[in-house]
Order: sequence, then C-alpha cells, then structure tokens
Amino acid sequence: MRLKSLARLGLIAGFVLAAIPLFAHHGTGVAYDIEKTVNLQGSVTEWIWANPHCGILFDVSDDKGNVEHWGAELGNPHALSMAGLSKDILKPGDKITISGHPAKSGAPRIELQEFTTADGRTLPERGHKGNGAKLTDEPGQ
Amino acid sequence: MRNRLMDLLATFAMLLTFSAVTFAQTYGTKGYSPGAWKPEDLPKDLSKPKPYNPHDFVGVWSSPTKAGYFERHALNDKWLDIKDKSIPDQMRSQTYPPPMTDWAKGKFEATKPSYGPRSVAPGLGNDTVSTCDPMGYPRDLYEANLRPFEIVQASDRLLIHMQYHDIWRTVWTDGRGLPKNPDPAWMGYSIGKWEGDTFVITSTGYDDRTWLDHFGNPHSDQMVLVERWRHPDADTLTLDETITDPKAYTAPWVGETVTFVRAKAAIFEELCVPSEEEHFNDKIRDAAVGTAKP
Repeated sequence: MRLKSLARLGLIAGFVLAAIPLFAHHGTGVAYDIEKTVNLQGSVTEWIWANPHCGILFDVSDDKGNVEHWGAELGNPHALSMAGLSKDILKPGDKITISGHPAKSGAPRIELQEFTTADGRTLPERGHKGNGAKLTDEPGQ
Repeated sequence: MRNRLMDLLATFAMLLTFSAVTFAQTYGTKGYSPGAWKPEDLPKDLSKPKPYNPHDFVGVWSSPTKAGYFERHALNDKWLDIKDKSIPDQMRSQTYPPPMTDWAKGKFEATKPSYGPRSVAPGLGNDTVSTCDPMGYPRDLYEANLRPFEIVQASDRLLIHMQYHDIWRTVWTDGRGLPKNPDPAWMGYSIGKWEGDTFVITSTGYDDRTWLDHFGNPHSDQMVLVERWRHPDADTLTLDETITDPKAYTAPWVGETVTFVRAKAAIFEELCVPSEEEHFNDKIRDAAVGTAKP
C-alpha cells in the first residue's frame, strides 16, 4: 500500500512539475515538438553562456563510432542563474545526460528540459519564472 | 477513496512545503541579484517598507509572479480557447486591435512573429528581438514579465529603467510640451503630469520600425501614446494605455489595465548582446530550422 501511495505521489508530483513551463521563451514551442522528448548522452563541445540565450553544443556517438553534433536551446542567464546554473557549470569534454523537445525540422537540436552532469547534478532546478521568481510566489514578490 | 484523498493532500502539502522552503532560501529578498549578491550578502534592513505615498513610484516593479498569472504582452491580449495540446503556449494568445488602415494591414502582414496564431519558428521569422534591435515602447515594458523595471523620480523628470537592453526612458515633468516634428526615436519623446493621483504620460515621435507587441501589431510615426499610471497601494502600480494612430488604426486602441507589483529583485545588467545572439542563432536557433549560416 505504501509503495502504491508513493508511486501515486510521484506521478502527481511529476505532472505538477511537468506542467510548469521552464523558461519558455521566444518561439521555442513553435520550433520544437513539445509533445515529444528525446534522451541523449553526449560530450560537451561548447557551453554558450550568453545574453540573452544560452546553449549547449554536444557530440553524441553511436556504437560504431559515428558522431552527431547536437545542440540544446536554453533561456537567458538571468533566469538560469536562479535555477542553479552558472558560466562554470559546464566545460568542453564534460559528459552529460540530456533531455529535451526535438526540433520539428528533424535537425539535431532540442529545447532543453534538463541535463545531468557527470557528478550527478540535475539542472535546471525547476519551478522558476523567467524573472527568477518562484512560480509559487504570492503576488508582490 | 479516503486513501486517494489523503494521498492528494499529502502531495500538495509536500509541494507547498518544498516551495516555501526554496522560496525563503532563494528569493523574496529585496536587492537580490541572481549571479551576483546573494540574500545573505545584503544589509538586513533593505526590506523595510517605506511609508506609502501615491505620488512616489520609486522602486523596482514587475508583473505578478503567481503561478497561472496570464503574462500580458500587449494592450489587450487574451488566452485563446484551444483544446489541442500540441499547440504551444506561445501560440495560445491573441490581441484585438481596432480595424487597421490599408497601410497598417500591409505592415502587419509582412511581420513573421513567433507568438500568437501566426507564429513561425524564430529562425524563420523577422522579429527584430532575435537580433537584439531595440524593441521600442510600449513593447519594452511588457518584458517586465521576465525582467523588472525601475522607476526613479527626479525634480524635473521621471526615469523608467528597463532591465532588458538597459534602457532608460525619460519622462519630462518640467512643464515642457511635446516636441514638434521630432526626429523619430525608438522610445519616443515623453512628458508627464499629475492629474490628482494619476500620473499621465503623453508620448510621440516614435520610430515606426518597432512592433507594438510580440504579435507584430504595427504603429506609425504619428502614434500618440497616453499612459495613466496609478499607485493604489504600497505594492501595486496600474497602467491604462490608449494609442491614437490614425495612420495605422481607424479608432483609438484602448488597452486593458496592466498591473505591476513591487519586485524584490534588483535591476542588474541584462544586455541583449548582438554578437552573442548571432552566435546563438547560428549554432542553435537557426540550426533548429536549417537556416544557420554555414
């Protein structure tokens, strides 16, 4: 019974968290398929910490050694700072597990949902609005 | 059934507790700047409220941040009733301007925005926000959904400091009138005066290359914008806007009241850097639609 309840708890929490838009910005939902998610493992080639948009470029290799160059779209550094990211959070060569909505065009680009660093940190921390406020804040905050 | 109800209550209690704890740790401290000063780095008396004065707009303001609040981005935008869940949030709202003149219709149809029902992917659009060009006013104000703005009052002017693009908008209060036949300006030319507890700003002289909002609604260089700002309580500003632009619209466009609340974040540097955005466009945004530079 306890396991069942915990599973239910996790499911509900998952829905609540998934329902919170994570830095949806300029046209991201139009360029990417928000109903699909891809999960990838790769090696960072460039961490773009820039105004007003950040990005992660990374290489994904298959079993035969073929390499595909991927990229992930992120929001602005202001909001990402509030969610635990910084200019030093990634560097070329870092191994990451990453998920996101794929580009509708089929290009190897995603709108980032989250990534996990080699030391186990999953980012961005969820639940922030673009201006850095928590989505659960009361008016006036 | 009872167990199910208990599960639900436990879930929401957990989420509320989590939210309150993280909120207390990270936000809610006046002057806090992500990436710079942490709450513990700041003087403890920063959050002391000052006496309420309806004519004192000084402070940092932003849109309300309550979950579910509809982020205003135009004079009268509203959510569309769309059941299809594959339609992204960016396409789920719309504006309702007065009828456009033929001149404005042509301008509007040439826009390729990335918000509203006509949205295209940014890499295929022509919204100059993607190249860090000035957004102009009033569009810049709607960035308060993401970034706060600050009001500073001096003896002869009121300054509105927009965080995004680090724009300073000057509203002259020294008794001068509007300029006659001015050179066009991205933020226009503004004068302000008090009518009771309402601060009325009248502006003109706008550069007609900017859009009024992210839906691509146009305006001409003949636009006159009248803003009526009020400060009904210590933590609230309200704004009513009316645009009169006979070259673009056949009737005045009367906006719906926009509310801003006192933000506890500080204004800090957030420039839109053309070279950085160009790099991002090449590597990510334009690459996502296959239009990146080789």
